[in-house]
Amino acid sequence: MALHIQFQQHKPMSLQGQFSCEAGQLLALVGPSGAGKSSILRLLAGLMRPAHGRIEVGGQVWLDTAKGIFQTPQQRRVGLVFQNYALMPHLSAAANVALALQHLPKSERIIEAVQWLKRVRLSSDESMRRPAQLSGGQQQRVALARALAREPQLLLLDEPFSAVDQMNRESLYRLLAELRTDLNIPIVLVTHDLNEARMLCDKLVVLDQGDVLQEGPAFEVHRRPRNSRVADLVGIQNRFYGAWMGPSETPGLGVLQWTRSLDTQQVTSQNSLQLRTRDKGKIPPGFPVNWVVHADGLALKPEGYNLQRDGFILLPVHVVGHRDLGELSLIDLSMDVAPCEVLKMAVSGAQRLGLKTGARGVVEMDLGLIHIMPKKPHPELAQMRR
Amino acid sequence: MDWSAFSLSIQLAFGTLLVLLPMGLLVGRWLARTQFKGRAWLEAAILLPLVLPPTVMGYYLLVVVGGGSPVGQWLQNTWGVSLAFNFSGLLLASVLFNIPFMFQPIQRAFESIPNNLNEAAQVSGLSRWAIFTTVELPLAWPGIVSAMVLTFVHTLGEFGVVLMIGGSIPGETRTLAISIYDSVQSFDLQAAHQMSLALLIFSLVAVATSLLLSGRRMRTVKRAV
Repeated sequence: MALHIQFQQHKPMSLQGQFSCEAGQLLALVGPSGAGKSSILRLLAGLMRPAHGRIEVGGQVWLDTAKGIFQTPQQRRVGLVFQNYALMPHLSAAANVALALQHLPKSERIIEAVQWLKRVRLSSDESMRRPAQLSGGQQQRVALARALAREPQLLLLDEPFSAVDQMNRESLYRLLAELRTDLNIPIVLVTHDLNEARMLCDKLVVLDQGDVLQEGPAFEVHRRPRNSRVADLVGIQNRFYGAWMGPSETPGLGVLQWTRSLDTQQVTSQNSLQLRTRDKGKIPPGFPVNWVVHADGLALKPEGYNLQRDGFILLPVHVVGHRDLGELSLIDLSMDVAPCEVLKMAVSGAQRLGLKTGARGVVEMDLGLIHIMPKKPHPELAQMRR
Repeated sequence: MDWSAFSLSIQLAFGTLLVLLPMGLLVGRWLARTQFKGRAWLEAAILLPLVLPPTVMGYYLLVVVGGGSPVGQWLQNTWGVSLAFNFSGLLLASVLFNIPFMFQPIQRAFESIPNNLNEAAQVSGLSRWAIFTTVELPLAWPGIVSAMVLTFVHTLGEFGVVLMIGGSIPGETRTLAISIYDSVQSFDLQAAHQMSLALLIFSLVAVATSLLLSGRRMRTVKRAV
């Protein structure tokens, strides 16, 4: 029951890329406003036809522009929860769900609809109310029940959590987790909330200006973003400039020079900090790079900590900024060796209590969690990839 | 009270409704959902009867379908039909003159239905016809009723165009409005008063009902968005 989609068009808006999602997997489409997230959902639902493309769900071809195949939304078994739910205002909750039960005889539709509403925890009394008489969270459950009542082969959720409060959101997260195991179909979720995407999804698809920039498990995309744009879009805090200096004296390790800009001419004069990190032999020496270090690769230690370990570097720091976010704090740290660079970390628990501006400490950076991205694909690199 | 004029006006109003309603539903819905070049011209043409003096329209109708015109002669020779100074001509004039009263409210009613409701219905598996009958028609219904009421009342009150194309033949083309005019001309103020008052009350009730329904529609649609 896997989903495979590929698409390409230039007008009326540019869209291109491909991705796939297995049955039982939850895939999140993330990207800034106007990145084309909702358009891709519309392609999947059959509400929009791309200039070129192919969509296959569970072995059935829903769209193949090369062969002239296009299944209408009515022919595809797809459930779609709209951003503002799109419930019929003149119909009761049960009648809204019954709309998606066209395959049943008329007399059975309402009974079945009430059953579906019970599954999303709406009482029989609430089922008879019109959408305007229900709360936002209840309306969303009705929309979800309507999408599920069609017994879809693919479930699409367009920013379903954006209009409900935190408490409702938590219970809807739980509901979605339950449904995911019960349904065993691909689920595609559009969201602009990266935490939500990380928490709920098995797979991320990062979109920008209609292009699929990267597809992969959320953990993988965060740890190894394909380029600096992906790193920014998925909210990686610690992204820096550098220059790849080539292999070091230790086999398997190379030298990353930390720079203030991508201008490699300034490498020697600007900064003396060099990091020894894994050398994959793919980047030519002297090539400008962006690099990121995953949050898991940073640990804040007390001042004076000096336990040197292989594969780690100790950086004396002091706090230059501090934001309290309830149960955790976001802190900005300035390094003694590179005062202009700021490391950002989230700290929680007892550790954050003494952290005020000016407080000193040591950051232990795991060099194995540094990921290096060439500024732009080098011709030699492009050739190697081919 | 000129009952034959009253009955003729009612017949004309129902006849106009019967012809215009299906056209209004088709064209109003089409205009609400479709963008195309020249749309502004078409909408202007639909609105034209609102701004044109009724006598101008009546005059052109007489010129086009009158017995002396090529169209009038063709109608007479081929079908044996004459459209000047009879009920059929009156009906044609009334239909044309009421186009904006029927088309505009229906178009606005369909326009006010959020597009995602239509899309949600498609994704739920509803056919185009089922979407029209179960989603669009119920949501546009108050607007459609407004259009029907306005057209009906407007037909009862028509004067200029009716006089131009139909004259004042009792039982054939003398409508209530013409009859009021004739009564005043012949100093039968009592009859003029009765008919005027009846028309006034009827129109007031109809327009108020239509406004009430439009208000309710607005509230329903606002809740939907």
